[in-house]
Amino acid sequence: MSASAVFILDLKGKVLICRNYMGNTDMNQIDHFMPLLMKKEEDGEITPIITHGNTHFLWIKHSNLYLVATTRKNANAALVYSFLYKITQVFKEYFKELEEESIRDNFVTVYELMDEVMDFGFPQTTDSKILQEYITQQGHKLEVGAPRPPATVTNAVSWRSEGIKYRKNEVFMDVIESVNLL
Amino acid sequence: MPYLGGEETVKELRRALSNPHVQGDPLRHRSTVLRVIRVMSQGVDVAGLFSEMVKACATTDVVQKKLVYVFLCSYASLNPELSLLVINTLRKDCQDPNPMVRSLALRNMTNLRLPSLVEYVQQPLTAGLRDRAACVRRVAVLGWAKLHSLQPHADIDAAVVNELYSMLRDNDPVVMVNCLRALEEILKEEGGVAVNKAIAHHLLNRLKECDVWGQCEVLGVLQRYRPHSEEELFDILSLLDPYLLSPSVPVMAATLGLFLSLCCRGLPAVSLAALRRAQAPLLAACGSASPEMKFTALCHVQLLLRSLPGLMGEHYKRFFCGYAEPAYIKQRKMQVLVELVNDDNVGFVLDELKGYCTDVSPDTAQAAISAIGRIGRSYSDQCLEILTGLLGLKQEHITSVVVQTMRDLVWVCPQCSESVCEALEGCEDTLQDSQGRQALLWLLGVHGDRVSSAPYVLEAFVEQVRSEMAAGVKTELLTATMRVFLCRPAETQDTLGRLLHYCIEEEADMNVRDQALLYYRLLHCGIEETRSVLQGRRSDPSLGVLIGRPAEPVSQWARSFNTLEPLRQCNAGAESAPQAAPYHLALDPEPSLDLCDPLNPSQDRQETAAAESVNLLLPGPSAGPLAPGPTAGPPAPGSGGGQLGLSLSPALSPQQFEHLWLGGPQCPHGEPGAREEEEEEECVCVQERMGVSPALQCSPPPQLQAALQRSHIQTMAFTPPHTLPWRVYLYTHTRWGGPAPRGPTLVLGELLYTGGAEDQEGEGEGGERGLRVTAKQRPRDDEAMKGFLQVLSGALHTSSTGSC
Repeated sequence: MSASAVFILDLKGKVLICRNYMGNTDMNQIDHFMPLLMKKEEDGEITPIITHGNTHFLWIKHSNLYLVATTRKNANAALVYSFLYKITQVFKEYFKELEEESIRDNFVTVYELMDEVMDFGFPQTTDSKILQEYITQQGHKLEVGAPRPPATVTNAVSWRSEGIKYRKNEVFMDVIESVNLL
Repeated sequence: MPYLGGEETVKELRRALSNPHVQGDPLRHRSTVLRVIRVMSQGVDVAGLFSEMVKACATTDVVQKKLVYVFLCSYASLNPELSLLVINTLRKDCQDPNPMVRSLALRNMTNLRLPSLVEYVQQPLTAGLRDRAACVRRVAVLGWAKLHSLQPHADIDAAVVNELYSMLRDNDPVVMVNCLRALEEILKEEGGVAVNKAIAHHLLNRLKECDVWGQCEVLGVLQRYRPHSEEELFDILSLLDPYLLSPSVPVMAATLGLFLSLCCRGLPAVSLAALRRAQAPLLAACGSASPEMKFTALCHVQLLLRSLPGLMGEHYKRFFCGYAEPAYIKQRKMQVLVELVNDDNVGFVLDELKGYCTDVSPDTAQAAISAIGRIGRSYSDQCLEILTGLLGLKQEHITSVVVQTMRDLVWVCPQCSESVCEALEGCEDTLQDSQGRQALLWLLGVHGDRVSSAPYVLEAFVEQVRSEMAAGVKTELLTATMRVFLCRPAETQDTLGRLLHYCIEEEADMNVRDQALLYYRLLHCGIEETRSVLQGRRSDPSLGVLIGRPAEPVSQWARSFNTLEPLRQCNAGAESAPQAAPYHLALDPEPSLDLCDPLNPSQDRQETAAAESVNLLLPGPSAGPLAPGPTAGPPAPGSGGGQLGLSLSPALSPQQFEHLWLGGPQCPHGEPGAREEEEEEECVCVQERMGVSPALQCSPPPQLQAALQRSHIQTMAFTPPHTLPWRVYLYTHTRWGGPAPRGPTLVLGELLYTGGAEDQEGEGEGGERGLRVTAKQRPRDDEAMKGFLQVLSGALHTSSTGSC
């Protein structure tokens, strides 16, 4: 259920961004990932999970990037992959296209996002609408001062922005009916 | 940025950061800090900028703060004293009116992971637990967990633990979940959070407020809870029911895991019912968009099928492979298909599998053919038809696998042997690899009386036996020829004689030679004795091999559901998992050749498979003295002693070779059979002399390199042709397959032929005649060295006789 560290690698295996969440893995372990992957590719036995010693690499590939999560515990596999796909989705919503260039150009935002989505190896806020409210791409205007977190981050329901209030609680539905007469 | 520019960049950045103008202008300051981070992400070492960055930390700009913290967290462990300077700023920020800044400060204080800072951090953390903003509370809760993981032996104050327990009732669901996680971590030795009835009910009631990650966490923790009464159990189950059908795969898997752990003790029927209900979402997961989820779902389906074998029989179509799917998914799907076969769908399934047999990728084709073979144990006629049709394609890799599959099939279902024998005619031409040939030889040996052309095929093999490299094929050839001789003596006598003569006189591999000697002596004892030994007691074919597998109770695998275990089991053949998966099950019992023929010593087929599956841990090319670690993986069932395999990976570059060669022990000159060892017996240098034929005298023959390559020895360099003395430099890695405890070694070799006037005689003793072989091995392994020398001389022989 917990990822020790998350890495974003380019196609050759060079680390673009890394975040060490739990601090119990040596960051150099990632150097073993690429050779192992290449070897498996040669043998024709690629699997989404690669083990080296007692570190497990769970990886997905998106366009020309590899996103790798490392874990030592017997983690919940479906959850980790779900998480990796979710952050891919978040990145795509921020940068329109997720590939090596977009990471290189926006690494500030990427660092901020990676800080926010996972803490100590557990996923926190991953809803991109909420994240967009306080991590913006243009940078913050200095005069206004630091942004305050929207109350959504502190709210009971994670997806609904605070302060939405409607005067009348009503719903409109349009029913369109078409009839063919023979 | 070029690597060489690293130094300059760092100096320039330091100047920029210390420049008071830059510090005064917030925008410029921020962009400088940004450049530092950019440079850091590109791999340049910017640890020297630590003190400047610490000063940059005191700013009102949140983005800049974040960047500085990223830097600090990466390099804090290198500069613990300087990090103390940051603490003041952080503590001040913990009291900032903006909750965002507070949470950022708290989070990074705990991320610094410095033991010396612990005392400063505790007070803000305690205050953070009671903060009015939820985001700060979230961070504070996890901060305690981080603190504990930093210093596992220091006791966390009991008051804090109590506070965390009470925060389970916090309004914010993320705080609640974080508390769970923190308590799990802190109370790890005591087995994690103590879930009593009140807590369990509270968690269940708030389950719907949590997001996906939170739900998974809660469901995971609840596995530890034991309901007090059956009524309570059923209440819990009905509450969790909607989550079983949740669209989110992790939640569904977690719920199913919880169901299984709750029910498997007392109520097996309920757990089976739960499995049936979970069928639909699992099938949906098998069709999900991402291949990794599919893979996870497929591995879990395989787990399920262990308990409910026919579970998804009518949904078999879902497991048909798409064209573009990655190979690992196709293979899993085929494994699942084999389990789902029943009388209704066998026709369709076989049709589909037949389509995959001609797939572009040889691995998929092989998997498909083996799958057909497994189905053939129950439905032999249809499968045999398909297999025979495949033989007609005359494709090398297909034929090889088909012959192996037929061999397995015949062993299990003797009634198929008729059709198999008919099919075997004429396929020996298309077989090139040793596995296929071994299978063919076995079949010819056992059913030689029914295959009309058996002696002639064997004769063709015997002609080529000199160029045959694999010892397994030779032993198989011996056994097969003997068997055929017993039933058709007239035709085989001559062939057998030649074969035995070659094996006894010229063969270098001791196993083969000994077996040939044994047969020779047996024949001397008389034909009746030979017959009684060779065709001795076989196991009764009517007993058969257990085709099916009894359904396992769910409790055997319930605990490993929804963890990494099922995925690792699927990979068990391809990984060197240090802890073997507890419920490792071979999906198809492989027939052991031992039962049939007590004289066939090595189950080479399984051994070479084991040797292939040992995963070599690759040291990075820049690692110092190559020290390969022991990596014998879980042995294939029934393999005998280790079999030596050679391999070319990891590849050595010429510089590495030179460095290692010159750095290793030097051989004393001029003595054949000399050895020198380094102190700790880590490396050894051996010299040998090998007799060499006239063809080798002018220059290393061109076939030498090819012959060496075939035996997995890589030539690094050799002198230009037609020069004397000529040298060849080569290297290889030796590996042991099977359960031998010795690890792989690296062998570097040099062949030196100095020439000389009087070397017309083949065998010279001493002197400068013949080829001098120098080999250096690290670490030392005498058996592997012997094996290597054997292979080398075999290769030299082959290339010097110039045969194919």
